[in-house]
Amino acid sequence: MAASVRTLALRALCESRRNINRVSGSRIKHSCCGAWFTLCRGYSDGSEGKSTHFGFETVPEEEKADRVYKVFESVAKKYDVMNDAMSLGIHRLWKDSLLHAMNPQPGLRLLDTAGGTGDISFRFLEYTRSMYEHQQRQKVRSSQTPSWRDIAEHYASNKSGLPQSRAVVCDINKEMLKVGKQRAEKAGIGTDLSWVVGDAEELPFDDNQFDLYTIAFGIRNVTHIEQALQEAQRVLKPGGRFLCLEFSKVSNPVLARLYDAYSFQMIPVLGEVIAGDWKSYQYLVESIRKFPDQETFKEMIEDAGFFCVQYFNLTGGIVAIHSGFKL
Amino acid sequence: MAALIRGLRAGKALRGLGSVAVQAKLSPQCINVRRGFHRAALLRLADDFKSESVPPPSYHEVHKGEESSTSSAQGDSFNTAAGQEDGQPNTSYQDQSGEHGEDYETEEQLQARILTAALEFVPQHGWTVEAIASAAETLDLSPASTGMFNNGAGDLVLHFIAQCNAQLAETLAEQHKQIQLGQAEPKKTAEFLRDAVELRLRMLIPYIDTWPQAMSILLLPHNIPDSLKHLSTMVDDIWYYAGDRSTDMNWYTRRAAILGIYNTTELVMLQDSSPDFEETWAFLDNRIKDVVNMANTAKQVQATGEAVVQGLMGAAITLKNLTGMNQRR
Repeated sequence: MAASVRTLALRALCESRRNINRVSGSRIKHSCCGAWFTLCRGYSDGSEGKSTHFGFETVPEEEKADRVYKVFESVAKKYDVMNDAMSLGIHRLWKDSLLHAMNPQPGLRLLDTAGGTGDISFRFLEYTRSMYEHQQRQKVRSSQTPSWRDIAEHYASNKSGLPQSRAVVCDINKEMLKVGKQRAEKAGIGTDLSWVVGDAEELPFDDNQFDLYTIAFGIRNVTHIEQALQEAQRVLKPGGRFLCLEFSKVSNPVLARLYDAYSFQMIPVLGEVIAGDWKSYQYLVESIRKFPDQETFKEMIEDAGFFCVQYFNLTGGIVAIHSGFKL
Repeated sequence: MAALIRGLRAGKALRGLGSVAVQAKLSPQCINVRRGFHRAALLRLADDFKSESVPPPSYHEVHKGEESSTSSAQGDSFNTAAGQEDGQPNTSYQDQSGEHGEDYETEEQLQARILTAALEFVPQHGWTVEAIASAAETLDLSPASTGMFNNGAGDLVLHFIAQCNAQLAETLAEQHKQIQLGQAEPKKTAEFLRDAVELRLRMLIPYIDTWPQAMSILLLPHNIPDSLKHLSTMVDDIWYYAGDRSTDMNWYTRRAAILGIYNTTELVMLQDSSPDFEETWAFLDNRIKDVVNMANTAKQVQATGEAVVQGLMGAAITLKNLTGMNQRR
């Protein structure tokens, strides 16, 4: 409701200023739209109405969410296979790097937004479980002559002793969550994992709920990235960490040319052959190009109120991990 | 345009920083100012890994000078800043820290607070990330905030060392002031060195059980530059307050001597089980005596050498006279 009122008001404002816009250039237009600057981010000069990019297309904002939904609905079943094919399996390394950067202590709550098929959550649970066992072993080893009580506790502690790590997978797309649930059942990871349908721009959670918030390869599909960042800020506990794994700008020009060639020539073809869907994968590579680069995204995260924002480039900048803290 | 708005916000942030900077402590102050520049995105280059380390606060005068020069640079940017809204990060942080009732605090100050709190958990968890996580929990922060410390346990150890060195420098400065005011007797160099090293080593006593782990962390390749830096500033401080103003080779030899004494005494202390580490202090006494003796011996050798050379010269001239070669015809 508020969004549509804003749309109308903005449209009225911008139409009234259109003549001045054309004469005096973009600077004044932006200063008029002062408070709505963040909404104008998707603006192309001289276009009216709120629109944003969908790959290299320009679409009205309301449409983008629907079209993204349709893309992922159609690719859901072959999503994991396609990931492996397109990235030659390297996406697993990227996700492992994200977990290493996260280095989660046992007993934390993770919100995996745009988690889809649950890759990050599965890794998180495995990581914390092995850390937990490692810590238990350390404890037993450090007490040189363990008392009968320690030994009894060690055997009795079947994950009901220390607070357990829990992961919540949130995705706007039911199909992706379905695929994820099936995978979880097959892998036997049932406990400590929940599946929630939700929009990253409007999360169905209370404030200060989670220790960790991750969004892996999802934030470029969000229509209003700033809103997603603010929601992340809201649901994180003080001291909580925001982590984003996303495709980014390659710095090396040679690698960039190779990467571009591969993206635009190979990936849609793979999409057609394996998943039978050229357009979705065309959208995917185009949306990567539309996403802001490392520094710009870092500034966006800082604007949302996160501190100690850093980014790590992986594979020469093809993928970047951004991290920020709510302090 | 985005840069313009960011610049305005940064200007406001800098103004906020500037007013609080006066109240903050000395060493975080220059970090405070540095953060202001970071926010203005003036000096921020695109790093991949940016780790924040606490610089060793050795000479207070140096830091004062730095702070005054940078605050004058701030003054210029204040005039240009219009500042419609408060620096967003500042206000949001204040809201969240409301329950602590504290004023604006920089990231580095918060990190320092977490690390100081983590020292309490070191006897239990060792010098590890778990100690930092437990500390974060006591400060009502999620354990996920340990990710702020890229170096993990290394950050904790380096923070502890920096703290100890700062304390040492303070105590030595106090003593120096006392001497200058005439309220205390100036000590002899050997005694002064002994007391300073003992004072510094006593700070390790609460953590002596886990100190071998800390030492091994300091020896990791990526930590060696920082640990050497801390060591050298500590040794420098000790000699400065001992009154060393040498500008020749002595500067190096003296610092090398104290470095050796300190390291060996530390190692002895690790395996000392006598009450109140008496054996360690006895060892320290002996080493200091050795160094003093060596210095004296060196002087003696030099003097003897000169005397011997002169004696030989005299003998040679006498011989020449005897054989009649020296006579002018």
